[in-house]
Amino acid sequence: MAENPGEWASGALLDGDPGDPCLWMGGPVTRGELASLVDARQGLLESAGLRPGGTAAIRLPPSLEYVAVLLAAWRIGAQVSLLDHRLVRREVDNAMDRLAPQVVVTADSVATAPMMGYAQAVARAQTRPGGRPAATPHVLIQLSSGSTGPSKVIARTAADLLAELGRYEQLEEYPRRGERIVVLASMVHVLGLVGGLLHGLHAGAELVFPDRLTAMSIRAAVAAGTEPTTVLGVPFHAELLTTGGGPLPPLRRMVVAGELVRPWLPARFTATYGVPLGTMYGMTELGVIATDLSGRNAPAVAPAPGMSLRVADGELLAAMPASPYIGLIDDTRWADGWLHTRDAASIDQATGLVTILGRLDSQISVGGLKVDLTEVEQVLCALPGVDSAVVAYDGTIEAYLVLREDGQVSGVEAALAEQLAPFKRPRRLRVLSAMPRTATGKVSRDHAVLRAAAEAQPAGTP
Amino acid sequence: MVAILAAMGDRAPDEVSEEISSLELAWLVSQVEERYDTTLELDDAALARMMTVSGAVATIHQMLEGAADG
Repeated sequence: MAENPGEWASGALLDGDPGDPCLWMGGPVTRGELASLVDARQGLLESAGLRPGGTAAIRLPPSLEYVAVLLAAWRIGAQVSLLDHRLVRREVDNAMDRLAPQVVVTADSVATAPMMGYAQAVARAQTRPGGRPAATPHVLIQLSSGSTGPSKVIARTAADLLAELGRYEQLEEYPRRGERIVVLASMVHVLGLVGGLLHGLHAGAELVFPDRLTAMSIRAAVAAGTEPTTVLGVPFHAELLTTGGGPLPPLRRMVVAGELVRPWLPARFTATYGVPLGTMYGMTELGVIATDLSGRNAPAVAPAPGMSLRVADGELLAAMPASPYIGLIDDTRWADGWLHTRDAASIDQATGLVTILGRLDSQISVGGLKVDLTEVEQVLCALPGVDSAVVAYDGTIEAYLVLREDGQVSGVEAALAEQLAPFKRPRRLRVLSAMPRTATGKVSRDHAVLRAAAEAQPAGTP
Repeated sequence: MVAILAAMGDRAPDEVSEEISSLELAWLVSQVEERYDTTLELDDAALARMMTVSGAVATIHQMLEGAADG
């Protein structure tokens, strides 16, 4: 093991002038103040047994506490798994069983409310029985939504993260030292984590978290400073912001990623604020892959410095020297030095610009969060009260199901709430007396057919 | 309220279903606060009542009336 396995985090993220404005969450946090918090959280983690080469799972809402604990764990030289605080108990338990972290960090107390931009949390670190030290040199572990089968364990090394920070550094239009980034994207997922938090710390740009995720509060956060400001979020946030508002002097641009931008959005955003809506394309496995920060090339994006892309059988592939997956071997996602994105794309041979066309598997995006419809369907079909089910997506997730004799919709809803995080659950459960079938006898997945079957139901079905 | 939800994603009012997703709720709250120049004090209990259009309308009206009286 390296002499100081946590040195990468100290050097790239923590070092700097203690007086630098670093974060804003209800008030300013300087680099020096953050360093003190990190020192304190390091003590907390070490008391729970975290050592260099150890493993920790962090499940905290977006908060100053989350930032301090994450940096402390990395500085210790540990391998960190990040779990979304919205996951339900069963999902968390499954993740913990797979990851077997030695130390688990959760919130002892949380003060938050719906639509807050950040929470006040107090962390608790516990030793988990049966925890295993890191078996690989990776420092960051995240779970994907699996397109077939269980979710994938995605792992990145310190070198991977530093390389991505290097790509951000080379993007001329990305926020620089002394500027501000209003962060709307989740810091547990790659966009908010690397594009927001790590880049801000590394480059010296202040990370501002609005009090609430409403248009008014976000605009107020932008207007509260004088330095050039970039808003970082998902397309939903850009749509939210374009319903009103007008020129905001500190705003330099907004950058969104996470799902395809609707065609009318960039022009409407620029018409409202007079600045570009930039887009980025990336994956948890690789981080930022391609960008169009000026909006000049919309809807196409240009490969980020160092990224090598190609299209095979309509699918976008990204060069990657080693597989980002650990545990289950799935040679359909990474093979021979290429990562399969599962996105359909085309590349303009003359310019190298990439246009993302859509998804090739059953993964959809809800406000930037990835949901695998096959996973939702499998969970539904496995429930005791359910005879058969189909999950369809047409802007929202809808489920059509046939109940067993003793099955009840309320029971199904309760079971789903236990097994799936809220953003993955079908918005509506429509009960059918029988699944409509195609001419060959397969269950129909045609939206019109399913809807018609649901509407033909007798009264009394919810 | 339906008109506000319909505007999210440019839908026709009859395309808006009774159930509200969390994204739609964020949209609704953001819009209402802007139009009425107020802040809705939402907690988890209020949120639970706002999972349908009818529930959202009732809860928001209560809050706006409360704000007017306060």
